[in-house]
Amino acid sequence: MDKKTKNKVRIIEKTFESVKRDNKGIANTSLLAVAEELSMPYEELTSFFLTIEDIYLNEQQRNNIKVEEFLESGLSKIKTPNDAKELFEDCIKMFVESLPDHSGVVWAATPFLPKCLEEKKRMKSYLKKTFKRIIKRGWPGKIEPVLDRQTDLVVLSFYGLYEFCTRANKKTRKAILNDFINMLNLHLQDRLFF
Amino acid sequence: MVNSSIKLKDKAVKRAISTLRKDKRVEAVNLGVIANELDVSLEVLQTYYSSAEDIFIKAQKKDWDSLHRYWDKRIKKAKTPGDYKDAFDSFFERFVETLSKDADLMLDMSCYLPACIKYREWNRNKVRKKFSSLIKKGWPGKDDKVLERQTELITIVFYGFIDHVVHLNKDERIKSLRDFRNMINLHLQDRKFF
Repeated sequence: MDKKTKNKVRIIEKTFESVKRDNKGIANTSLLAVAEELSMPYEELTSFFLTIEDIYLNEQQRNNIKVEEFLESGLSKIKTPNDAKELFEDCIKMFVESLPDHSGVVWAATPFLPKCLEEKKRMKSYLKKTFKRIIKRGWPGKIEPVLDRQTDLVVLSFYGLYEFCTRANKKTRKAILNDFINMLNLHLQDRLFF
Repeated sequence: MVNSSIKLKDKAVKRAISTLRKDKRVEAVNLGVIANELDVSLEVLQTYYSSAEDIFIKAQKKDWDSLHRYWDKRIKKAKTPGDYKDAFDSFFERFVETLSKDADLMLDMSCYLPACIKYREWNRNKVRKKFSSLIKKGWPGKDDKVLERQTELITIVFYGFIDHVVHLNKDERIKSLRDFRNMINLHLQDRKFF
Protein backbone atom coordinates (compact mmCIF):
# COMPACT_ATOMS: atom_id res chain seq x y z
CA MET A 1 0.00 0.00 0.00
CA ASP A 2 1.49 3.39 -0.97
CA LYS A 3 1.67 6.30 1.46
CA LYS A 4 -1.27 8.12 -0.09
CA THR A 5 -3.56 5.10 0.21
CA LYS A 6 -2.34 4.46 3.75
CA ASN A 7 -3.28 7.99 4.76
CA LYS A 8 -6.68 7.67 3.14
CA VAL A 9 -7.33 4.47 5.08
CA ARG A 10 -6.17 6.14 8.31
CA ILE A 11 -8.64 8.99 7.79
CA ILE A 12 -11.51 6.60 7.14
CA GLU A 13 -10.73 4.42 10.13
CA LYS A 14 -10.25 7.35 12.48
CA THR A 15 -13.52 8.96 11.38
CA PHE A 16 -15.59 5.86 12.08
CA GLU A 17 -13.70 5.14 15.26
CA SER A 18 -14.50 8.66 16.44
CA VAL A 19 -18.20 8.42 15.48
CA LYS A 20 -18.55 5.06 17.22
CA ARG A 21 -16.50 5.96 20.30
CA ASP A 22 -18.54 8.96 21.36
CA ASN A 23 -21.81 7.93 19.79
CA LYS A 24 -21.97 11.52 18.67
CA GLY A 25 -23.34 11.17 15.16
CA ILE A 26 -22.28 12.82 11.94
CA ALA A 27 -23.41 16.33 12.83
CA ASN A 28 -20.96 16.46 15.72
CA THR A 29 -18.02 14.97 13.86
CA SER A 30 -15.74 17.30 11.94
CA LEU A 31 -12.87 16.83 9.55
CA LEU A 32 -10.86 19.25 11.66
CA ALA A 33 -11.24 17.05 14.74
CA VAL A 34 -10.29 13.97 12.71
CA ALA A 35 -7.19 15.78 11.38
CA GLU A 36 -6.21 16.74 14.92
CA GLU A 37 -6.65 13.19 16.19
CA LEU A 38 -4.46 11.94 13.37
CA SER A 39 -1.91 14.75 13.80
CA MET A 40 -2.36 15.34 10.08
CA PRO A 41 -2.45 18.80 8.51
CA TYR A 42 -6.04 19.75 7.70
CA GLU A 43 -5.03 20.61 4.11
CA GLU A 44 -3.66 17.14 3.62
CA LEU A 45 -6.87 15.56 4.89
CA THR A 46 -9.03 17.73 2.64
CA SER A 47 -6.98 16.64 -0.36
CA PHE A 48 -8.75 13.28 0.14
CA PHE A 49 -12.15 14.29 1.47
CA LEU A 50 -13.94 17.61 1.55
CA THR A 51 -16.72 16.61 3.94
CA ILE A 52 -17.59 13.86 6.41
CA GLU A 53 -20.33 12.86 3.99
CA ASP A 54 -17.63 12.16 1.37
CA ILE A 55 -16.02 9.66 3.74
CA TYR A 56 -19.31 7.82 4.24
CA LEU A 57 -19.98 7.85 0.52
CA ASN A 58 -16.50 6.56 -0.22
CA GLU A 59 -17.10 3.58 2.08
CA GLN A 60 -20.52 2.85 0.69
CA GLN A 61 -19.26 3.04 -2.89
CA ARG A 62 -16.23 0.90 -2.15
CA ASN A 63 -18.51 -1.94 -0.97
CA ASN A 64 -20.93 -1.48 -3.83
CA ILE A 65 -18.26 -1.39 -6.52
CA LYS A 66 -16.83 -4.65 -5.19
CA VAL A 67 -20.23 -6.32 -5.59
CA GLU A 68 -20.84 -4.79 -9.02
CA GLU A 69 -17.48 -5.90 -10.36
CA PHE A 70 -18.04 -9.38 -8.96
CA LEU A 71 -21.47 -9.62 -10.57
CA GLU A 72 -20.47 -8.15 -13.93
CA SER A 73 -17.48 -10.42 -14.22
CA GLY A 74 -19.58 -13.43 -13.16
CA LEU A 75 -22.38 -12.59 -15.58
CA SER A 76 -20.02 -12.56 -18.53
CA LYS A 77 -18.95 -16.13 -17.70
CA ILE A 78 -22.37 -17.71 -17.18
CA LYS A 79 -23.12 -20.60 -19.53
CA THR A 80 -25.53 -22.88 -17.65
CA PRO A 81 -28.32 -22.37 -15.07
CA ASN A 82 -25.99 -23.83 -12.48
CA ASP A 83 -23.39 -21.15 -13.22
CA ALA A 84 -26.05 -18.50 -12.60
CA LYS A 85 -27.14 -20.13 -9.34
CA GLU A 86 -23.55 -20.30 -8.21
CA LEU A 87 -22.97 -16.65 -9.04
CA PHE A 88 -26.06 -15.67 -7.05
CA GLU A 89 -24.89 -17.60 -3.99
CA ASP A 90 -21.27 -16.48 -4.25
CA CYS A 91 -22.29 -12.86 -4.58
CA ILE A 92 -24.27 -12.95 -1.33
CA LYS A 93 -21.41 -14.73 0.43
CA MET A 94 -18.82 -12.29 -0.89
CA PHE A 95 -20.94 -9.30 0.10
CA VAL A 96 -21.43 -10.48 3.68
CA GLU A 97 -17.85 -11.63 4.17
CA SER A 98 -16.40 -8.36 2.95
CA LEU A 99 -18.60 -6.05 5.05
CA PRO A 100 -16.29 -3.92 7.20
CA ASP A 101 -16.75 -3.57 10.98
CA HIS A 102 -18.02 -0.01 10.65
CA SER A 103 -20.74 -0.92 8.14
CA GLY A 104 -23.37 -0.32 10.87
CA VAL A 105 -22.34 3.32 11.21
CA VAL A 106 -22.58 3.82 7.45
CA TRP A 107 -25.93 2.02 7.27
CA ALA A 108 -27.45 4.15 10.04
CA ALA A 109 -26.35 7.45 8.53
CA THR A 110 -27.34 6.71 4.93
CA PRO A 111 -30.89 8.16 5.09
CA PHE A 112 -29.55 11.52 6.25
CA LEU A 113 -26.70 11.95 3.82
CA PRO A 114 -28.16 12.92 0.44
CA LYS A 115 -25.26 11.51 -1.59
CA CYS A 116 -25.38 8.23 0.36
CA LEU A 117 -29.12 7.99 -0.01
CA GLU A 118 -28.77 8.42 -3.76
CA GLU A 119 -26.08 5.76 -3.81
CA LYS A 120 -28.31 3.36 -1.85
CA LYS A 121 -31.15 3.91 -4.34
CA ARG A 122 -28.80 3.43 -7.27
CA MET A 123 -27.40 0.21 -5.83
CA LYS A 124 -30.84 -1.17 -5.00
CA SER A 125 -31.96 -0.54 -8.54
CA TYR A 126 -28.75 -2.10 -9.93
CA LEU A 127 -29.24 -5.18 -7.75
CA LYS A 128 -32.84 -5.52 -8.82
CA LYS A 129 -31.89 -5.41 -12.49
CA THR A 130 -28.92 -7.73 -12.10
CA PHE A 131 -30.54 -10.25 -9.75
CA LYS A 132 -33.43 -10.44 -12.21
CA ARG A 133 -31.03 -11.35 -15.02
CA ILE A 134 -29.36 -13.99 -12.85
CA ILE A 135 -32.65 -15.47 -11.61
CA LYS A 136 -33.95 -15.63 -15.19
CA ARG A 137 -30.93 -17.67 -16.23
CA GLY A 138 -30.53 -19.72 -13.06
CA TRP A 139 -34.18 -20.64 -12.60
CA PRO A 140 -35.52 -20.58 -16.17
CA GLY A 141 -39.17 -20.86 -17.15
CA LYS A 142 -40.64 -18.17 -14.97
CA ILE A 143 -43.09 -15.78 -16.58
CA GLU A 144 -42.19 -12.07 -16.45
CA PRO A 145 -44.57 -10.96 -13.62
CA VAL A 146 -43.40 -13.88 -11.42
CA LEU A 147 -39.81 -13.01 -12.17
CA ASP A 148 -40.44 -9.40 -11.15
CA ARG A 149 -42.25 -10.26 -7.94
CA GLN A 150 -39.70 -12.85 -6.89
CA THR A 151 -36.83 -10.48 -7.63
CA ASP A 152 -38.46 -7.85 -5.41
CA LEU A 153 -38.65 -10.37 -2.58
CA VAL A 154 -35.04 -11.41 -3.09
CA VAL A 155 -33.86 -7.80 -3.02
CA LEU A 156 -35.84 -6.92 0.10
CA SER A 157 -34.55 -10.07 1.81
CA PHE A 158 -31.02 -9.15 0.78
CA TYR A 159 -31.40 -5.74 2.41
CA GLY A 160 -32.80 -7.41 5.54
CA LEU A 161 -29.68 -9.55 5.66
CA TYR A 162 -27.52 -6.51 5.01
CA GLU A 163 -29.02 -4.67 7.97
CA PHE A 164 -28.70 -7.72 10.21
CA CYS A 165 -25.04 -8.15 9.28
CA THR A 166 -24.16 -4.53 9.96
CA ARG A 167 -25.05 -5.17 13.61
CA ALA A 168 -23.69 -8.69 13.90
CA ASN A 169 -20.15 -9.89 14.45
CA LYS A 170 -18.34 -11.88 11.77
CA LYS A 171 -19.14 -15.27 13.34
CA THR A 172 -22.88 -14.57 13.51
CA ARG A 173 -22.85 -13.22 9.95
CA LYS A 174 -21.26 -16.42 8.71
CA ALA A 175 -23.66 -18.64 10.66
CA ILE A 176 -26.76 -17.17 9.04
CA LEU A 177 -25.41 -17.08 5.51
CA ASN A 178 -26.10 -20.66 4.41
CA ASP A 179 -29.59 -20.67 5.89
CA PHE A 180 -30.36 -17.42 4.12
CA ILE A 181 -29.16 -18.73 0.76
CA ASN A 182 -31.13 -21.97 1.25
CA MET A 183 -34.26 -20.01 2.00
CA LEU A 184 -33.91 -17.96 -1.19
CA ASN A 185 -33.22 -21.11 -3.18
CA LEU A 186 -36.42 -22.69 -1.93
CA HIS A 187 -38.30 -19.55 -2.82
CA LEU A 188 -36.83 -19.41 -6.33
CA GLN A 189 -37.52 -23.08 -7.03
CA ASP A 190 -41.21 -22.24 -6.97
CA ARG A 191 -41.62 -21.61 -10.68
CA LEU A 192 -45.25 -20.57 -10.76
CA PHE A 193 -45.18 -18.67 -7.48
CA PHE A 194 -48.73 -19.33 -6.31
CA MET B 1 -57.76 18.04 28.99
CA VAL B 2 -56.66 14.54 27.97
CA ASN B 3 -57.88 15.15 24.43
CA SER B 4 -56.08 18.45 24.13
CA SER B 5 -52.82 16.96 25.35
CA ILE B 6 -53.15 14.10 22.85
CA LYS B 7 -53.86 16.63 20.11
CA LEU B 8 -50.84 18.70 21.08
CA LYS B 9 -48.60 15.63 21.09
CA ASP B 10 -49.89 14.57 17.66
CA LYS B 11 -49.33 18.04 16.29
CA ALA B 12 -45.78 18.12 17.66
CA VAL B 13 -45.00 14.81 15.96
CA LYS B 14 -46.46 16.09 12.68
CA ARG B 15 -44.38 19.28 12.89
CA ALA B 16 -41.22 17.35 13.65
CA ILE B 17 -41.84 15.05 10.69
CA SER B 18 -42.63 17.89 8.34
CA THR B 19 -39.39 19.68 9.33
CA LEU B 20 -37.47 16.49 8.79
CA ARG B 21 -39.11 15.91 5.40
CA LYS B 22 -38.17 19.45 4.37
CA ASP B 23 -34.64 19.75 5.80
CA LYS B 24 -33.50 16.12 5.78
CA ARG B 25 -31.59 16.84 8.98
CA VAL B 26 -32.56 15.75 12.49
CA GLU B 27 -30.66 18.73 13.86
CA ALA B 28 -33.20 21.00 12.19
CA VAL B 29 -35.95 19.65 14.45
CA ASN B 30 -36.06 22.03 17.37
CA LEU B 31 -38.47 22.01 20.32
CA GLY B 32 -38.47 25.81 20.59
CA VAL B 33 -39.43 26.23 16.94
CA ILE B 34 -42.14 23.57 17.20
CA ALA B 35 -43.56 25.24 20.34
CA ASN B 36 -43.66 28.53 18.49
CA GLU B 37 -45.40 27.03 15.49
CA LEU B 38 -47.98 25.35 17.72
CA ASP B 39 -48.50 28.54 19.65
CA VAL B 40 -47.64 27.05 23.03
CA SER B 41 -44.78 27.86 25.36
CA LEU B 42 -41.63 25.79 25.31
CA GLU B 43 -42.34 24.81 28.93
CA VAL B 44 -45.70 23.33 27.96
CA LEU B 45 -44.16 21.32 25.14
CA GLN B 46 -41.37 20.18 27.43
CA THR B 47 -43.90 18.58 29.78
CA TYR B 48 -44.42 16.04 26.98
CA TYR B 49 -41.06 15.93 25.21
CA SER B 50 -37.58 16.56 26.54
CA SER B 51 -35.90 16.76 23.10
CA ALA B 52 -36.42 16.22 19.40
CA GLU B 53 -35.19 12.67 19.84
CA ASP B 54 -37.83 12.18 22.53
CA ILE B 55 -40.57 13.09 20.02
CA PHE B 56 -39.44 10.36 17.66
CA ILE B 57 -38.85 7.69 20.28
CA LYS B 58 -42.29 8.25 21.82
CA ALA B 59 -43.97 8.15 18.40
CA GLN B 60 -42.09 4.96 17.58
CA LYS B 61 -43.11 3.35 20.89
CA LYS B 62 -46.73 4.41 20.48
CA ASP B 63 -47.01 2.72 17.07
CA TRP B 64 -45.36 -0.49 18.23
CA ASP B 65 -47.29 -0.65 21.53
CA SER B 66 -50.53 -0.47 19.61
CA LEU B 67 -49.38 -3.19 17.22
CA HIS B 68 -48.28 -5.46 20.06
CA ARG B 69 -51.59 -4.97 21.88
CA TYR B 70 -53.51 -6.04 18.79
CA TRP B 71 -51.18 -8.97 18.21
CA ASP B 72 -51.33 -10.16 21.84
CA LYS B 73 -55.13 -10.25 21.70
CA ARG B 74 -54.98 -12.51 18.64
CA ILE B 75 -52.37 -14.75 20.26
CA LYS B 76 -54.41 -15.02 23.46
CA LYS B 77 -57.46 -16.26 21.56
CA ALA B 78 -55.51 -18.85 19.54
CA LYS B 79 -56.01 -22.52 20.39
CA THR B 80 -55.14 -24.60 17.31
CA PRO B 81 -52.14 -24.52 14.92
CA GLY B 82 -54.45 -22.85 12.40
CA ASP B 83 -55.27 -20.09 14.92
CA TYR B 84 -51.58 -19.51 15.61
CA LYS B 85 -50.87 -19.30 11.90
CA ASP B 86 -53.66 -16.75 11.60
CA ALA B 87 -52.23 -14.76 14.49
CA PHE B 88 -48.85 -14.83 12.77
CA ASP B 89 -50.38 -13.62 9.51
CA SER B 90 -52.52 -11.01 11.22
CA PHE B 91 -49.41 -9.31 12.58
CA PHE B 92 -48.09 -8.59 9.08
CA GLU B 93 -51.50 -7.47 7.86
CA ARG B 94 -51.98 -5.10 10.76
CA PHE B 95 -48.44 -3.82 10.42
CA VAL B 96 -48.97 -2.85 6.79
CA GLU B 97 -52.50 -1.51 7.35
CA THR B 98 -51.39 0.84 10.10
CA LEU B 99 -48.24 2.16 8.40
CA SER B 100 -48.50 5.91 8.09
CA LYS B 101 -47.49 7.85 5.01
CA ASP B 102 -44.47 9.04 6.97
CA ALA B 103 -43.37 5.54 7.88
CA ASP B 104 -40.24 5.97 5.78
CA LEU B 105 -39.02 8.84 7.96
CA MET B 106 -39.93 7.03 11.16
CA LEU B 107 -37.86 4.09 9.96
CA ASP B 108 -34.91 6.35 9.15
CA MET B 109 -35.09 7.81 12.66
CA SER B 110 -35.25 4.38 14.25
CA CYS B 111 -31.96 3.51 12.53
CA TYR B 112 -30.24 6.79 13.34
CA LEU B 113 -31.05 8.30 16.74
CA PRO B 114 -29.31 6.47 19.61
CA ALA B 115 -32.42 6.11 21.81
CA CYS B 116 -34.47 4.97 18.83
CA ILE B 117 -31.82 2.43 17.82
CA LYS B 118 -31.83 1.05 21.35
CA TYR B 119 -35.62 0.74 21.34
CA ARG B 120 -35.57 -0.78 17.86
CA GLU B 121 -33.16 -3.47 19.06
CA TRP B 122 -35.25 -4.18 22.13
CA ASN B 123 -38.41 -4.36 20.06
CA ARG B 124 -36.77 -6.55 17.45
CA ASN B 125 -36.07 -9.10 20.18
CA LYS B 126 -39.64 -8.86 21.38
CA VAL B 127 -40.97 -9.45 17.86
CA ARG B 128 -38.50 -12.29 17.38
CA LYS B 129 -39.68 -14.04 20.56
CA LYS B 130 -43.29 -13.81 19.46
CA PHE B 131 -42.40 -15.12 16.00
CA SER B 132 -40.64 -18.06 17.64
CA SER B 133 -43.59 -18.91 19.87
CA LEU B 134 -46.09 -18.60 17.00
CA ILE B 135 -43.97 -20.65 14.58
CA LYS B 136 -43.61 -23.37 17.23
CA LYS B 137 -47.36 -23.58 17.74
CA GLY B 138 -48.47 -22.85 14.19
CA TRP B 139 -46.02 -25.17 12.45
CA PRO B 140 -45.49 -27.89 15.08
CA GLY B 141 -42.88 -30.63 14.86
CA LYS B 142 -39.79 -28.54 14.25
CA ASP B 143 -36.82 -29.26 16.49
CA ASP B 144 -35.42 -26.41 18.55
CA LYS B 145 -32.47 -25.71 16.28
CA VAL B 146 -34.62 -25.52 13.18
CA LEU B 147 -37.07 -23.30 15.03
CA GLU B 148 -34.24 -21.01 16.09
CA ARG B 149 -32.75 -20.72 12.61
CA GLN B 150 -36.07 -20.24 10.86
CA THR B 151 -37.13 -17.60 13.37
CA GLU B 152 -33.90 -15.69 12.76
CA LEU B 153 -34.48 -15.77 9.02
CA ILE B 154 -38.09 -14.65 9.31
CA THR B 155 -36.99 -11.75 11.49
CA ILE B 156 -34.28 -10.77 9.03
CA VAL B 157 -36.58 -10.78 6.03
CA PHE B 158 -39.31 -9.00 7.99
CA TYR B 159 -36.93 -6.12 8.68
CA GLY B 160 -35.94 -6.12 5.01
CA PHE B 161 -39.65 -6.03 4.19
CA ILE B 162 -40.11 -2.99 6.43
CA ASP B 163 -37.32 -1.15 4.62
CA HIS B 164 -39.03 -1.98 1.32
CA VAL B 165 -42.69 -1.44 2.12
CA VAL B 166 -42.37 1.98 3.78
CA HIS B 167 -41.30 3.41 0.43
CA LEU B 168 -44.37 2.10 -1.42
CA ASN B 169 -47.84 3.55 -1.80
CA LYS B 170 -50.83 1.88 -0.12
CA ASP B 171 -51.85 -0.37 -3.04
CA GLU B 172 -48.31 -1.50 -3.68
CA ARG B 173 -47.86 -2.24 0.02
CA ILE B 174 -50.79 -4.67 -0.04
CA LYS B 175 -49.51 -6.45 -3.15
CA SER B 176 -46.04 -6.73 -1.69
CA LEU B 177 -47.46 -8.06 1.58
CA ARG B 178 -49.25 -10.87 -0.26
CA ASP B 179 -46.03 -12.04 -1.90
CA PHE B 180 -44.04 -11.64 1.28
CA ARG B 181 -46.49 -13.75 3.28
CA ASN B 182 -46.45 -16.45 0.63
CA MET B 183 -42.68 -16.55 0.69
CA ILE B 184 -42.42 -16.97 4.45
CA ASN B 185 -45.23 -19.51 4.51
CA LEU B 186 -43.38 -21.62 1.98
CA HIS B 187 -40.26 -21.34 4.09
CA LEU B 188 -42.05 -22.39 7.27
CA GLN B 189 -43.71 -25.40 5.65
CA ASP B 190 -40.25 -26.91 5.36
CA ARG B 191 -40.27 -28.79 8.67
CA LYS B 192 -36.77 -30.24 8.57
CA PHE B 193 -35.19 -27.23 6.94
CA PHE B 194 -32.60 -28.84 4.69
